[in-house]
Amino acid sequence: METKVKTKAMQEFSEAAKTLVNPAVQDWRKQGGKVVGCFCSYVPEEIITAAGFLPFRMRATGSAGTELADAYLSSINCSFTRHCFNMGLRGEYGFVEGVIWPSTCDHVRRTYDNWKRKVETPFVHIMSLPKKTEEPQVGWYRDEMVNLKKALEKHFGVKITDERLWEAIRLHNETRRLQRQLYELRKKRNPPITGAEALAVMVAGTAMPKERYNQLLKELLDEISQLEGNADYRARLMIVGGILDDPAYIEVIESQGGLVVTDMTCFGTKIMWNDVAEGAGDPLTALARYYIADRPSCPRMFGDYSRRADFVREMVREFKVDGIIGERLIFCDLWTVEHYMLDKDLKAEGVPYLKLDREYLLGGIGQLRTRVQAFLETMRR
Amino acid sequence: MIVGGCDVGSATGKAVVMKDSTIASYIIIPSTTKPEVTARIAMDEAIKRAGLSSLKDLDYVVGTGYGRLKVPFANENISEITCHARGAYWLCPTVRTVVDIGGQDCKVMSMDDKGKVIEFVMNDRCAAGTGRFFEAMARVLDCGLEGLSSLSLQSNHPATITSQCSVFAESEVITLVNEGTNLVDIVAGLHNSIAGRLNSMVRKVGLVEDVALTGGCAKNEGLVKALEEKLGVSVKKLPEDPQIVGAVGAALIAKERLSRQS
Amino acid sequence: MTEKELQRKRLEKFIQERDMLHAMVQAFTQSPTAEEQLYAGLTKVYVDHHNEIIRCVEEGKPFIASYFACAPEIYSAMDLPWYTFLTPAFTGAISEPTLSAEIDGSEKLFGKDLCTILRIAGYYIEEDVAPIPTAIIGLLHPCDGTTVLHQIIASNENWSKVPQFAADPPYWEDERSIDYYVGELKRMVAFLEEHTGYRLDMDRLREVIEVSNKEYELWMEYNELRRAVPCPHGYGVGMQAFGVVEGFLVGDPRGIDWLKILVADAEKLVQEKRGKVPNERIRLFWFDVVSLGWSFDLFPWLEQEWGAVIVMDMFGYTPYTLIDTSSEVTMFRGLAKRALFDVPMVRQARGVADNFLADIRRVVKDYKINCVVWPGHMGHKDGSANIGMMRETCREIGVPFLHIGLDLFDKRYTAIDEIKDKFSQFFTAMGLG
Repeated sequence: METKVKTKAMQEFSEAAKTLVNPAVQDWRKQGGKVVGCFCSYVPEEIITAAGFLPFRMRATGSAGTELADAYLSSINCSFTRHCFNMGLRGEYGFVEGVIWPSTCDHVRRTYDNWKRKVETPFVHIMSLPKKTEEPQVGWYRDEMVNLKKALEKHFGVKITDERLWEAIRLHNETRRLQRQLYELRKKRNPPITGAEALAVMVAGTAMPKERYNQLLKELLDEISQLEGNADYRARLMIVGGILDDPAYIEVIESQGGLVVTDMTCFGTKIMWNDVAEGAGDPLTALARYYIADRPSCPRMFGDYSRRADFVREMVREFKVDGIIGERLIFCDLWTVEHYMLDKDLKAEGVPYLKLDREYLLGGIGQLRTRVQAFLETMRR
Repeated sequence: MIVGGCDVGSATGKAVVMKDSTIASYIIIPSTTKPEVTARIAMDEAIKRAGLSSLKDLDYVVGTGYGRLKVPFANENISEITCHARGAYWLCPTVRTVVDIGGQDCKVMSMDDKGKVIEFVMNDRCAAGTGRFFEAMARVLDCGLEGLSSLSLQSNHPATITSQCSVFAESEVITLVNEGTNLVDIVAGLHNSIAGRLNSMVRKVGLVEDVALTGGCAKNEGLVKALEEKLGVSVKKLPEDPQIVGAVGAALIAKERLSRQS
Repeated sequence: MTEKELQRKRLEKFIQERDMLHAMVQAFTQSPTAEEQLYAGLTKVYVDHHNEIIRCVEEGKPFIASYFACAPEIYSAMDLPWYTFLTPAFTGAISEPTLSAEIDGSEKLFGKDLCTILRIAGYYIEEDVAPIPTAIIGLLHPCDGTTVLHQIIASNENWSKVPQFAADPPYWEDERSIDYYVGELKRMVAFLEEHTGYRLDMDRLREVIEVSNKEYELWMEYNELRRAVPCPHGYGVGMQAFGVVEGFLVGDPRGIDWLKILVADAEKLVQEKRGKVPNERIRLFWFDVVSLGWSFDLFPWLEQEWGAVIVMDMFGYTPYTLIDTSSEVTMFRGLAKRALFDVPMVRQARGVADNFLADIRRVVKDYKINCVVWPGHMGHKDGSANIGMMRETCREIGVPFLHIGLDLFDKRYTAIDEIKDKFSQFFTAMGLG
């Protein structure tokens, strides 16, 4: 069931997903470019691009462990944050000039507090992220963006003009458009790309300059739209969850014969299914509306569950999904309840749902395989 | 001055006889179901080995051990942390960080230059990294405790064990065995995982050299090596069996009590 | 089932709770000590509130579900009866094995790592054994858990039909945040007026706030007295003061009476230099709530075995500002400030970690604390991510810091013997007691 996509583009994407500081980031820095880390998809990356910097989604790819972080965070904290902080403490994030956090969740927001005190990153900033998605919250987050803009301008001595912001928005929207094109190909009966490969493409998009990425992605789309694709799979699967940035996890899932054709995750459709409304006027308002009101939201957003559930239903319909795998990082309260509700609702509508707990670093592969296999069998596939 | 120190743990009982400032004898025995019995047997044996005839030959005895246990024939019972710290400091006055890996739990303490405990951290709920866990792993892997140590030293590619909790680690190990992972790599992986948790505990109190290990698991060379790699410093080898440090400390306190009385 | 039968089923546990509380009142009333008399008075208020809710259900009158953290002065001023979802976890401590069964039931729905108190509340909702209110005021901070509890409510088949409003909490402490939260409070009032038919009258609000100002003053006076060495009261009724000032007696003159008695008793003890524990050797800062379950064994053991008194806990201490009642604007700004800065647990955990650490410094100094304990309740994900910073703060100010790791409500999570052992080892190692 493997589709071996051979382009240089795919290789570069795979490498970017497998390593932390990929060659494109190294080149960027060699040319004097600055990198700013974004902890979570609610950071308005367009503002960073408009400042002339490279926005880099924080990951803990290649983490050696959490021993140093465990002196500060505890064993009931999310392993994603513990690994990221550990890498920070080990100096492996020396390549960023700044890190920006939203107050996303209990684990992420405390990573800011610890990082600020213990890791020597020149610029650290936290944004107050609302917990609802209504008009007053759009206004609030817009003001937070203004504060971020000012803080970046002050620290780095740059000017972030409206014009630069609109440019960045258009650039990021182009990325989203291309990524949606990629997913469109996965709607076919014989998708030309596996779920693992698609995740590598998405992760790479958060880890290199968008101009280069867009170019490579166009090449990839050209190549794979010619491909036969593969219809030899047991079931079409959708992954629902939060931070999932490891294609190897999807590989294990797909090793049992299912094919992942879409998702609702923080490195997946959530960050590209909508565009920021382009136009004139205040770009920060457009950004605030996109991040808070338009985009599929994070389970932290109260009152927005039915919209998220509808999004999942839309994906199930459009991608002809046979079953959903809901993954959760252990200790994530937000996804505990989200999966509880989605599982209840979707099962009642006849969509099989499998809930899986995981740690950030891939482990327990034997168990994972067994559970996925059993899931496919109960779907009679 | 002839004194005795007796340390009854969950897994083993230890007794030491000191003549003035020298260790005359010591013994380590597996614990029986009754701590008082374990204490008695250990102390009697140590007395015999010191060439003495009975408890009456000891001028003062201090008991210590796990939890609220009291050694009934002791003149006094002192907490095991105090005894451990005292014993470690006497055996090596340059020691500033003590990692105690016992039968049931792990503790890390930092001391000042006078041997006084400054900071103290205990393992949290998932008590992996204790003698009990190693015993369980030795059973699963069918290799005995000494086997665990020597096996791990042979590995060049330790497996990665991600589970924090000893219960899950056990099932991870079984999976690795079934997948055909090399036994030496699994064992090394286990040691790395435990050394990692110990490393975190040391970071909590702050790593200050010299670092010494006490408790039965300190004799596991594989674990010592793994811990040294994690800490980035060499562990100071104590001049006596690390398992008797508590009993030595108890004996030293017995000596002190006597000195004060006279 | 008919609607009437459903209603009765939903009230069953609530009535059981009421009966348990009533039994507690009886028991306390028998006792001669001032402390137990105070407990009796407070518990009677809870019984009265339960009865009021039961009446509302039976008579079809409006009532809401909410918390102490959402400007309850407003509900008082509107004379709007309210109850809280969180009581079962607390009172459940005296209803074993029911509590354990409910925790296990909640685990089947929500797994193991969501805060127990929220899991139980969610379980009651999903099992349809809680009285369904006219409207709900939800709480979206300080933690993730409380947000998702309200999401469970919003998605539940029966409860989704109940209108729910939750104020959006800003992360900061500045004027802009207060303005924003005032906006949310105004929306909350409009929501309550629309869905309950009750109205908020500014003069009545002024009265309530003025009484509550007095209550806060008395609470502060009481806390001053706890600074004494030895500490006049232990883990007991003094820790319930927040429930009076911010809970069902907010803006109620009976709250003033209750607090006056509390202050008088503490004052007397301080004058006589009598502490809760005759030989007070350790003064603890228990940096969490003093939950009922552990009050039967752990805290008394600490006092008896180690002479260790809980001088201050997370809920006992709060700085506060008097609310200026001269205008609607000043009153709403004051209420917003209170909801963000003066509500225990919310104020420490909602924003940046500095709030946590500042508390440690302040409390250790003011209350002459010689040991800081972070109980490490399994629900406090953000707090448990502070342990390194808390340890370092304690190191700076020269005070030992102990992190345990337990469940405030499920005593099986970490057994009491293990907890006692940890305390004993720690106290011994650090030369305390």
